[in-house]
Amino acid sequence: MQARTFDAAGGTEKDPPAAVRMVGVTKRFGAVVACNRVDFSLQRGRIHGLLGENGAGKSTLMKILIGLVTPDAGEIYVHGERRIILDPVEAATLGLGMVHQHFSLVDALSVWENVALGEPGRLDPRAVRARVGEISDHFGLDIDPYATVGDLPAALQQRVEIIKCLRRDPSVLIFDEPTSVLTPEESWQLFDSLRRVVTDEGRAVALVSHKLDEVLQATDTATIMRQGAVVERLVTAETDAAELARAMVGRPVALRSDGALRAAPRSGQRPIEHDEPVLTIEAAAVRVGEQRELDGLDLEVFAGEIVGVAGVEGNGQSALVDVLSSLTRLHSGAVRVNGRAVPTGKSGAMAEAGIAVIPADRHDSGIVLQMTVAENLLLVHPEQVSAKGLLDPGMMSEHAQRLIDEYEIQCEGPDSPMWSLSGGNQQRVVLARELSSRPLALIAAQPTRGLDVGAIEYTTGQIRRAASNGVGVLLVSSELEEILDLSDRIVVLSQGRTAGAMARDDVDMERLGLLMGGHHA
Amino acid sequence: MGGFVEALGDILTSESSYVSAVSFAAFLAFGAVGEWVAERAGTLNISIEGMLLAGAFAAAMGFDLTSSLLVSLLFGIGAALMVASVQAQMSHRLQADQFVVGLALNILVLGLAGFLDGELDPATRRAPTVTIPLLSDIPLVGRALFDQSWLLYLIYPLIPACWWLVYRTRWGLEARSVGENPQSADASGIHVNRRRRQAIYVAGITCGAGGTYLCLAVVGSFEDSIVGGRGFISIAAVIFGGWTLRGSIAGCVLFGTVVSFRLSLPALGYQINNQIVTSAPFLLTIAGMALFAKRVRAPDALSRPFVRGIR
Amino acid sequence: MTASVVRALRPTRARRDALAGRLSEVVGLYVLSILGALALSAVLVSATGGSWRSVLSALIDGSIRNPGRWGTTIGGAIPLLTIALGTIVNAKAGLVNIGQEGQLLLGGACAAIVAVHFDAPGALVFFALAAAGVAGGAVWAGLAAALRYWRDVPEVLTTLLLVAVASQVVAFGFSTERLLLAPLSEGQGTQVQQTLRVPEGARLPRITLFGNEFPIAAFAAVILAAVVAFILARTVWGFRLRMLGSNQRTATRAGVRPARYGITAMLISGGLAGLAGVFMLTGGDFGGYRFSPGFSINFGWTGLLVALVARERAGAAVVVAFVFACLWTGSGFLAATGVERRITDVVQASLVLALLIPPAVLFIRARRRAAALRRVRV
Repeated sequence: MQARTFDAAGGTEKDPPAAVRMVGVTKRFGAVVACNRVDFSLQRGRIHGLLGENGAGKSTLMKILIGLVTPDAGEIYVHGERRIILDPVEAATLGLGMVHQHFSLVDALSVWENVALGEPGRLDPRAVRARVGEISDHFGLDIDPYATVGDLPAALQQRVEIIKCLRRDPSVLIFDEPTSVLTPEESWQLFDSLRRVVTDEGRAVALVSHKLDEVLQATDTATIMRQGAVVERLVTAETDAAELARAMVGRPVALRSDGALRAAPRSGQRPIEHDEPVLTIEAAAVRVGEQRELDGLDLEVFAGEIVGVAGVEGNGQSALVDVLSSLTRLHSGAVRVNGRAVPTGKSGAMAEAGIAVIPADRHDSGIVLQMTVAENLLLVHPEQVSAKGLLDPGMMSEHAQRLIDEYEIQCEGPDSPMWSLSGGNQQRVVLARELSSRPLALIAAQPTRGLDVGAIEYTTGQIRRAASNGVGVLLVSSELEEILDLSDRIVVLSQGRTAGAMARDDVDMERLGLLMGGHHA
Repeated sequence: MGGFVEALGDILTSESSYVSAVSFAAFLAFGAVGEWVAERAGTLNISIEGMLLAGAFAAAMGFDLTSSLLVSLLFGIGAALMVASVQAQMSHRLQADQFVVGLALNILVLGLAGFLDGELDPATRRAPTVTIPLLSDIPLVGRALFDQSWLLYLIYPLIPACWWLVYRTRWGLEARSVGENPQSADASGIHVNRRRRQAIYVAGITCGAGGTYLCLAVVGSFEDSIVGGRGFISIAAVIFGGWTLRGSIAGCVLFGTVVSFRLSLPALGYQINNQIVTSAPFLLTIAGMALFAKRVRAPDALSRPFVRGIR
Repeated sequence: MTASVVRALRPTRARRDALAGRLSEVVGLYVLSILGALALSAVLVSATGGSWRSVLSALIDGSIRNPGRWGTTIGGAIPLLTIALGTIVNAKAGLVNIGQEGQLLLGGACAAIVAVHFDAPGALVFFALAAAGVAGGAVWAGLAAALRYWRDVPEVLTTLLLVAVASQVVAFGFSTERLLLAPLSEGQGTQVQQTLRVPEGARLPRITLFGNEFPIAAFAAVILAAVVAFILARTVWGFRLRMLGSNQRTATRAGVRPARYGITAMLISGGLAGLAGVFMLTGGDFGGYRFSPGFSINFGWTGLLVALVARERAGAAVVVAFVFACLWTGSGFLAATGVERRITDVVQASLVLALLIPPAVLFIRARRRAAALRRVRV
């Protein structure tokens, strides 16, 4: 064991200094410690995996490295020199580049224009295009420099992002969950390119991931984090999935199939009543221009069960949630609640029919930042505290105080503005409002995205509780772990339709992967 | 109907109607090219009206003081730049609402120009024409385009210069990215608000020239109603043109032509409803937007302020 | 329960201390900005050979000090406040209406047509012309709203462009006696572009208080302000309107139909601008109960600025409308000082610009402090 761990400080003294060394980095969000005295280093010429479950602190650590998050304590050394990195621009000048989960591209501009964006000096379109060609040849990242970025699929947009990053010649490249928008096939292509970046040019690469397969296949060394702390440092070639999984979860884990990781096998199945589904989606189709966002989707959710919708992002998830939020009209097909058809695209109809929604982006369609907590708790059903169209302020703050206590929302009171709350507490407001309306079905879209560990636990707990109270839950998530953890039944969404379904207990990871990639299996 | 066709024929063969159409169109174009740059960078700059008026008044003052067209032009540009800098600093440094700033500026400049004109009363006269040999002999349009004050000729290089600035320079690339997706531009290390301010300064420069042209080459004297809402027609032209330079200039030419009908038709002995002609540019723009707004793409972040960390 | 109360109280006390310090900063900034704007105007007057003291004194004389003047000022504040209230409604719905000038003009024109051509008992004429005025303004704003929701045309632009169209529509109205133009009366050489007077029975009663006379519309406008404030704060409709204005997607999911609420808000906004036209036409402080092409005297723009300076609060709009009306009535007394009366436009606009500065500076300072804190923590 001792033999194959390596030193965080960057090996023996004869080695050149590590490309990046982080020492004793600590970051707290309220009561939660996202990073607890973390030591971390990256070596030139190596791909380094940063592995951990959701909320283990790995994203926070990388955000600290490129200046998006400021640490409470700790030191950062870049090529042996101590640096204070306050924003991404500073990080870029130090040679640190990051490819984010969400890209920083301008849709309306062409590929080469995006690549040229943010560089100093005269603009030389021909030279930029030539360089784009060179980079794409060299690393196997094929792309048309004249294409408009907004027209490209997610995988190609990621390529543009990578090329843009490489064009600045960074010595350190960080990839944050790069495969969440990719099919398994595209992922292997990406890792192939990464290998070339490292071996041909001697750069250091960090691959942030929660997927065991990826880390095993693509990395040289790996750091594993659990609950904000580093628990293990490994040389990938000398380890296996079982050991990684044990380190990541903190106890021996039974692997169901090739690379399938189970955090905690669910104990005890809830009884599922199979008389009539609470929520039915029939042959749903949504078109935006030429694009088919949903293309004949069929889905059923029964009372008391959690149905996980798995799939690579951009396969119709947002259209599905928008339809169930009354934000998009179905081109054809139907949505039924308890067998009764609900008009689609009619403001408030879905909420009226008993469909509660935790949106993927709260700020987009879940809360109103400029309004108070009390008002946000009443957005959907103000009639609870009003008579004849007049609001009763007394009842309003009473209602709010009750929910604030019940859901333990940390705020200065019912009248504090929503923007003054932390992300986790804003999510609690959404949960409180949606669950207190006694819904028949709950749509939870990426419910834990961007939350810290405590908030993740709370949110998943509430979702479980809702299901055990008889609510039919539809969990839409790009996190396979989350889906495996919570769902009774898994449906795979691919290109706007259901590619397949399976019960949680019969999950075959290989088949799941193929389905997500758009293959029929 | 026959009468209308006949009237149209008379207009098309009358040299003077081309002269008035070109002078209107050119004036609109001075405002529109600058507005186009500003809008591509994300500012719906309604103080264009004030910039044009400030340019016109300062040019009149410059001419009163020095009798030099060049100095007048510099005065005009300087004054319009002052208006532009208030707009730029307030909307893209202090993050005040750009429409409020623009409206207040228009009223301020109108008040200032009226006040100072009453107090100082600058004396001006129309600028002489500079005839370009050969080109000015082109039948019908030759005189309108090439036998004018050199102030008009400024618009000829100005249009391609603005195109080059926006599409062929790094500054232009950055300005466009700032108008489309300021968050991404910021993440790429571009000073979003600085680029936006600079784009407004470009509008200030073109409007300064436009105001000078209007005051010294077209009208010949200053009065506070000299711009009279035509800055808004320049804005309309940019929108009418679907945020492309070519379209904006086409809009200016169209609106200039329509507006010139008001002068040329009665002169040729035809009656036309004055009100319809005067409101035509506005109605055309509204109709154009109603027809094409769903298809034409405005810069994505147009009129949305940018503060890092707030969407 | 108690735990959360304790939690809620603790930060509040700390905040209160911070607030006391912050408050003096806020007041100081506002005072500085206003003084700055006034100083700028004073410099302008002095530089052109005038005396700023006499200008200031004339403004005060004209607006409040001289006998009967504050009554006239109230008369000016009525339409400004009415327009501002409409602006507040559309702003709360997240819509930008900058075409009040046109809506006011058209509302006034519609009211004038009814007033001149509708032959009926006085009160009936008043209600008919009021309805016509409100409808005229509402249609003009509603047009922009309809285009926004059905054709995706930005309402900022349409409302602005429709101002120019409105004045042409009015000009057309003056081309014929069947609409607006008053018939040539005996002893009159040329036809003046104005309407006949509103019949006496259809005028708003004027009341006299301490030697100051103003139309009873003043009470109507203040009551309207209270109503608007109440509707926005305390009714479900107002709640939903504010929701729409702040976050359209959240509101849509919660059952607010954007088109219905948005168009209603714009109709109210335009309708109130039209009502301001009615008040101006029948109130007696403007143009002697006649309508003319220059009828709106930039009050549409000024009313819009009132709403913006009042930061979209109905109560504050009452005060701001009065202050702006003071500048208008005061400017009438400037002739005696020999200073061009347009200086009041300068004062007004620079006041608006100056009042934009303090909130912006506070916002930026708050961000700077946060950034400085970050640096210290590293």
